[in-house]
Amino acid sequence: MTSLKSGLENATPDQTAMPTETAAATSADHCITIRNFDAWYGSFQAIHDLSLNIPRNRVTAFIGPSGCGKSTLLRWINRMNDIVPIAHSRGTLHLGDTDVLAKQTDVVQLRRNVGMVFQKPNPFPKSIYENVAFGPRLHLRLKRGELDELVQWSLEKAAVWDEVKDRLHDPALGLSGGQQQRLCIARAIAVGPEVLLMDEPCSALDPASTLAIEDLIYELRKSYTIVMVTHNMQQASRCSDQTAFFFEGRLIESGETEEVFTKPKEKRTDDYVRGKFG
Amino acid sequence: MSDASSQRPHALDAMSPVEMTEAANLRKKYSLAFYCVCVAVSMLSVVVLIVLLLSIAFQGHAWLSWNLMSASHSELNPESAGMWPAIIGSIFICGICAASALPLGIGTAVFLEEFQPKNRFLRAIHSFIQLNIANLAGVPSIVYGLLGLSLFVFMFNVFGQIRVNESNGMELAGVKRYYQVLTMAGGGHTALIPQTDPEQPQIVVDGPMTAVDAEGRAYELQIWEPGMPRPTDDETLRRTVRKGRRGGSYSELSWYYFRLPFGRSFLAAGLTLALVILPIVIIASQEALRSVSPSLREASLGLGSTTWQTVRHVCLPAAIPGIMTGCILAMGRAIGEAAPILVVLGAAVAKDSGPKNLMDNVVTMPVLIFNWAGRQQAVYQELAAAAIIVLLVILLLMNSLAIFLRQRMRLE
Repeated sequence: MTSLKSGLENATPDQTAMPTETAAATSADHCITIRNFDAWYGSFQAIHDLSLNIPRNRVTAFIGPSGCGKSTLLRWINRMNDIVPIAHSRGTLHLGDTDVLAKQTDVVQLRRNVGMVFQKPNPFPKSIYENVAFGPRLHLRLKRGELDELVQWSLEKAAVWDEVKDRLHDPALGLSGGQQQRLCIARAIAVGPEVLLMDEPCSALDPASTLAIEDLIYELRKSYTIVMVTHNMQQASRCSDQTAFFFEGRLIESGETEEVFTKPKEKRTDDYVRGKFG
Repeated sequence: MSDASSQRPHALDAMSPVEMTEAANLRKKYSLAFYCVCVAVSMLSVVVLIVLLLSIAFQGHAWLSWNLMSASHSELNPESAGMWPAIIGSIFICGICAASALPLGIGTAVFLEEFQPKNRFLRAIHSFIQLNIANLAGVPSIVYGLLGLSLFVFMFNVFGQIRVNESNGMELAGVKRYYQVLTMAGGGHTALIPQTDPEQPQIVVDGPMTAVDAEGRAYELQIWEPGMPRPTDDETLRRTVRKGRRGGSYSELSWYYFRLPFGRSFLAAGLTLALVILPIVIIASQEALRSVSPSLREASLGLGSTTWQTVRHVCLPAAIPGIMTGCILAMGRAIGEAAPILVVLGAAVAKDSGPKNLMDNVVTMPVLIFNWAGRQQAVYQELAAAAIIVLLVILLLMNSLAIFLRQRMRLE
């Protein structure tokens, strides 16, 4: 606790408000740009004046202790917080040219573009095939053969095809936790998103399944921009390119993962990645 | 670590091991005693139910026969009285009740649970509706009967009063079939022209004709042609028809005979019962929808589905076993309701068939039981007991259907 307090005192307000950006991040093609973003749940401010760029086709990890606002930010990127009646926000959040927070933004199209994978595997109580076909059926009119092809492609891309190809019409809830989570990833990519948001995708899984998902994430970044929230330092260092460290609703530091983990500029980041608190 | 935690507090050694065992035994005895009280209390209701069923079975078993199921009520000959029209009547009323209450109730539940508004004003409306539904569930059913009486039977007299002698039906001036022609008065005012040829389904008004009013009085129908001066007073307008207007056959003999207000018809009774069970259906469906895991909802929304798509493809399929259970239990309540039906339809049981048209009166099982049980003759008392057995069996069948459906849908 003592180290945390001194860390807080050391930080000047300026540093907290404007995180330093590495040269790599600024020169990259930004997929998501966030400027002066505040978010509230009722009167509780969950995110304070946050600015961040998320580069295209890379994995960005959000780390930080519980309740620091990283999941909140993630859920604002695809406006998932719309279903929380008391949630509101201010500032700018752009996905490419789209103003995500604008009232007139089509949330349905936005969410098609920004897929989401949740903490706990949440397949629908339907068959494996129906789970993956659910999204395409919402958006597209496909012939049987085209749909079959799309389902297979998604399952292959999510590295779960080999395990389920013989039982596509079995209930998805009969799969193991890791397989369910990969099925959820397949379901998310079946609608053709450009961004994948992952909210602690491995926290409910055993180590072997975690490894499989991490490999998958590493593979998927070739085609998708991935933003993941994780509590696991090793996971962030293993499979992310960029890391953003959050603390008490503020972005403390962001940059190349290697730099954040080996040469953090902020004392609090250093303490956190070394496991001194959190 | 402080010093206090290293020392064992004195309080932990205040009682000797023997004392502690005794205290524990005493607690176990209290626990056993409480268990016995619980069993006794729960058995009490079972015993009451068994006594009730036994007494009814004892009274009514002798009268359970095919005749009871197939015959109609008889004033003069109680030995051959049956409840067939009542069974049919209950089925019709419950059909109307289900067809109106279930879509409305499930729809309201979906609105309240799935379409949560962000706007403060809409949120206020939302909670206002919610509060009212919770209160409506506690309103006595006879109050709904009175509501149904003014809302469906009389329709607040907006469409005029029915002055036709209901027991004679539409038999006005000795004729049973009429053509109905719209008059100049508008607003649904029609003139009734006696039908002479039963084969002719339509009439074209081209010259002066004789029509009858609701009380059966004949009058001369006036014809208006474009160019003629238009009558100004209402009374004349109601007796004037534009030339060339067509009229359709209108008779209580056709099943689609329909009028406003509904009068003492099974339609009015079914809609009144729908009001009675609407809060039950809504609350049960809301519970079922609320128990659908939010993660499924998020998964669906996260894939870019609209709220309706989420409701249709995720929430309703997951909630349907619970909704079905609630609906069937509500229908069980509806089939056993007597009070609102007594208010809406009256206590008459002299009917020998099911409804002949949409506006026909019916007898229902609870009303028949009420009527029989209140009579002096012992035969009717026993018949009432037999009718209760039939009603209970039907209710039991419905409840088993509910359980069966729920289990099957869970498995799917």
